[in-house]
Amino acid sequence: MNINTHNTHIVMGFKYHAPTSVAEAVKLLSEYGGDASALAGGTDLIVRMKDGSHRPKHVVNLKRIMGLAEIKETRESIHIGTLTRIRDMEKSELMGKRLPVLQEAARTLGSVQIRNLATLGGNLCNASPCADTAVALLAYDAVAHIAGPKGDRAVPLDSFFKGPGATALERGEILTGVSVPKPAKNTGGRWLRVARASMDIATISLAVTVKLKDGVVEDSRFAWGTVAPTPMRTKEVEAYVRGRRLDHACIEEAARLASRSIKPRESGRSRGPYKRRVAHGFVVEALTSLMEAQR
Amino acid sequence: MSDSSLKVQNNVACTLDLREGDVEAAFKESEVVLERTFRTNRRYHVQLETKAVLVKPDINGGVTVWSTTQTLHNSRLLLHEVFGLPMGKIRVMKTPLGGSFGSSIQVNTVTLIAVAMALKTRRPVKIHFTREEDIHDHCSYSMVFKLKLGAMRDGLLVGGHLDAWLDLGSHQIQAYPLLGCMAGWWVSLYKLKAKSYSSKAVYTNKTPSCAFRGYGNPQVSWMVETMMDELAEKLGVDPLDFRLKNYVGKGDLFWGQGPTVKSIIQSCGVEEILRRGAEKVDWYNRPDAGSQTGRYRRGIGMGRGYHTSSAGAPVPGSVIDFSGAFLKLNEDGTLDYVTALMDHGGGTLEAHAKIIAEELCVPLENVNLIDADTSTTVYDVCTHASRGIYSGGGAALKVTKQVKEKLKAFAARMLDAEASALKFRCDEGRGQGVIYAEGVQGREVTFKEIAYNARHKNWGTVSAVDSYRQPACPPHFTGYFIEVEVDTWTGKVRPVRVVAGADIGTVINPKLAAGQVHGGLAMGWSMAIMEDLPIDTATGELANRGMITDYKIPYARDMPPLDDFEVFFTDTYEPTGPFGAKGIGEGALNPVAGTVANAIQNAIGIRFYELPLTKERILEAIAKKEGN
Repeated sequence: MNINTHNTHIVMGFKYHAPTSVAEAVKLLSEYGGDASALAGGTDLIVRMKDGSHRPKHVVNLKRIMGLAEIKETRESIHIGTLTRIRDMEKSELMGKRLPVLQEAARTLGSVQIRNLATLGGNLCNASPCADTAVALLAYDAVAHIAGPKGDRAVPLDSFFKGPGATALERGEILTGVSVPKPAKNTGGRWLRVARASMDIATISLAVTVKLKDGVVEDSRFAWGTVAPTPMRTKEVEAYVRGRRLDHACIEEAARLASRSIKPRESGRSRGPYKRRVAHGFVVEALTSLMEAQR
Repeated sequence: MSDSSLKVQNNVACTLDLREGDVEAAFKESEVVLERTFRTNRRYHVQLETKAVLVKPDINGGVTVWSTTQTLHNSRLLLHEVFGLPMGKIRVMKTPLGGSFGSSIQVNTVTLIAVAMALKTRRPVKIHFTREEDIHDHCSYSMVFKLKLGAMRDGLLVGGHLDAWLDLGSHQIQAYPLLGCMAGWWVSLYKLKAKSYSSKAVYTNKTPSCAFRGYGNPQVSWMVETMMDELAEKLGVDPLDFRLKNYVGKGDLFWGQGPTVKSIIQSCGVEEILRRGAEKVDWYNRPDAGSQTGRYRRGIGMGRGYHTSSAGAPVPGSVIDFSGAFLKLNEDGTLDYVTALMDHGGGTLEAHAKIIAEELCVPLENVNLIDADTSTTVYDVCTHASRGIYSGGGAALKVTKQVKEKLKAFAARMLDAEASALKFRCDEGRGQGVIYAEGVQGREVTFKEIAYNARHKNWGTVSAVDSYRQPACPPHFTGYFIEVEVDTWTGKVRPVRVVAGADIGTVINPKLAAGQVHGGLAMGWSMAIMEDLPIDTATGELANRGMITDYKIPYARDMPPLDDFEVFFTDTYEPTGPFGAKGIGEGALNPVAGTVANAIQNAIGIRFYELPLTKERILEAIAKKEGN
């Protein structure tokens, strides 16, 4: 045991940069590559620098860049800037109206103090399999907007996460925000989550959106947290319910499929059999309440 | 002690066996015998203050020490023995604590290290643990029990045998006395005409264990209360009636601190706690265990417990327990109160001030709580064993009575009155205690006037200093009724409603006493449902690496709403306590884990023998029982 590896101080030296434009940030990150880390809220980065598990030589603070902390509505979509604080998402009226599942997810992330610091971009780029906003955004078909040395590009969030802590971002690239197509009027959703305590990272979470017409599923998304190396969708379940009437038999089969389709580790904080049982219940709960809400 | 190496034969630190009556015959006589094995978790104290010390080398070659400690005088004693400094050259100062919960019963390791460094360097030394370091420094003892109980069909307990194993980690702090106390905690819950006890404490390569609120009693009570519930079920008697038939109460011999500290119980509110609690939760109409189906299932459980108030006894025994106090009248009629007894943040010294103010009839704000250290106080053993009010308050009352007699004598001279006829009253308007001759106009004098007169006439200062030994170790009794809701799809358990009754004799600070019960519930809930310190078997390191983010205790939102948490106190009076008071700190915690486990059993029909009852463990058990 080396007790000083998890201390309250950052013990290594690093160079601090505070660019004021996306272009400047991209230039710095391109130059230093793997030696640099982007800083936003710092609620993940600073903790890892303190415990010594992450030792960047350069820290590039993005918070001086203007215009990246907005929640905007256009005709087709809702855009959320990368520096938007989780607390602002939680309190946004627009979000409550258009993306309630995402707002619910934001509300369950950390404490008020954490949410006052943590940003959407940080939560996504940290690429934890339990990232609450990532799970909810997957259920809304979000698109990640990326700026980099070769210009801007957009990547569906579904292919943004590559593994624990790994994303589609390449050298010099930053996430500037996400956009979410406006859900249709007949789309409902649910956010379900279980953890050890009321303030804790999720043991398992589920974001569901379902487009229902006369009790029949037109389309759906089932996105999960902490059941695989990345936040994941269970497309088998989405395919199964498409075109089906949400009755008890259909819900039970969807739940059974979900419980088989998730890919939890069999060891660790909470074992696979537990998560598969909870996943089953989550699908039953979410679909049953959506079905009942439509009546 | 010498520096020669010890010959290590095994990892057994100590053993203790006890026996009373013919146990084998008792089991033969019993109509029902039940045996179960129980495993507890290992818990971190999560006290607010991490262990810390500041040492100032003094010009006389000595040291002044500010440290996290529950005992000023034992700290000085140990520093004297280790470093050979004359005791007059060691000053241990009172330093505020954030709960401690037993984690500074022993002199903390940092204190000795810092004193050694300060003596060597002649420079001030400060060591202050980070939370991560503190989690590696101390935790509760984890225990394995094998309990066998025999009873008659009519619900009378006959005999019992307990095997207990104690995992004390890598240091021995107070394992041997704990083995004795655990025997005491067990036999003082319910009467057994024959009983035997075999216990063993073993070293392991883990974080050292030390006292933790209840000193083994929460673990023992969880085991006994789980077993009592199951045995009642086997016998077909109501678990509450079963307890009422067998509990140790008034007139019975009580083992306050194991086999050498015993006294006869003189006040007991057990029956009142159980009857009133049962009525409040409609106990006899609770659901049948395991009768419910559906996702959310509710159950009501009860459990009782107690803790000793101090380690006092009619004879000295083998445990030191006495306190001391100093009280003097100031020239403005206020009083300075000085004690070595530590207040852990629960308001113990506020209660002492109330005792003094009540006895002398002065406004509460006229009693000044003075910062103290080893050089300005007489000995107090330690704030532990729920003795702060019972023993420390007892000492405060003793010196207050002495001061009262001196005040009376001075007042009698000033008023030209018979001392024995004088009375005391509090004059809130003048902010003074007043002594007067009843029915005689104008014959009265304030404390301020007495102090003024005593100074100008060279009578001296009205003061008293003394030690006080309590002649008993009265148990304060507690009982909980908890309603839980088990989510059978996630394994999460929610506290729906809590009713807690406590017999603490006269209640001196009702709100703070109720606060102790609220804290006891939170800590006990956490013990039952959440806490453990597993070891990474590959590295030997704590699985959470000392990170508090991976050591969950309940947040406010995980506790029942205040409207659904009722605390009531019984109408009891402890003849040996100051104004009839007993302790509360540990008894508030002890029954909780057992009660929670019994409530869960009532909800889902499953009994658990290993703590904590995590959502994973509960869901697995449900799946096993219901076959999915």
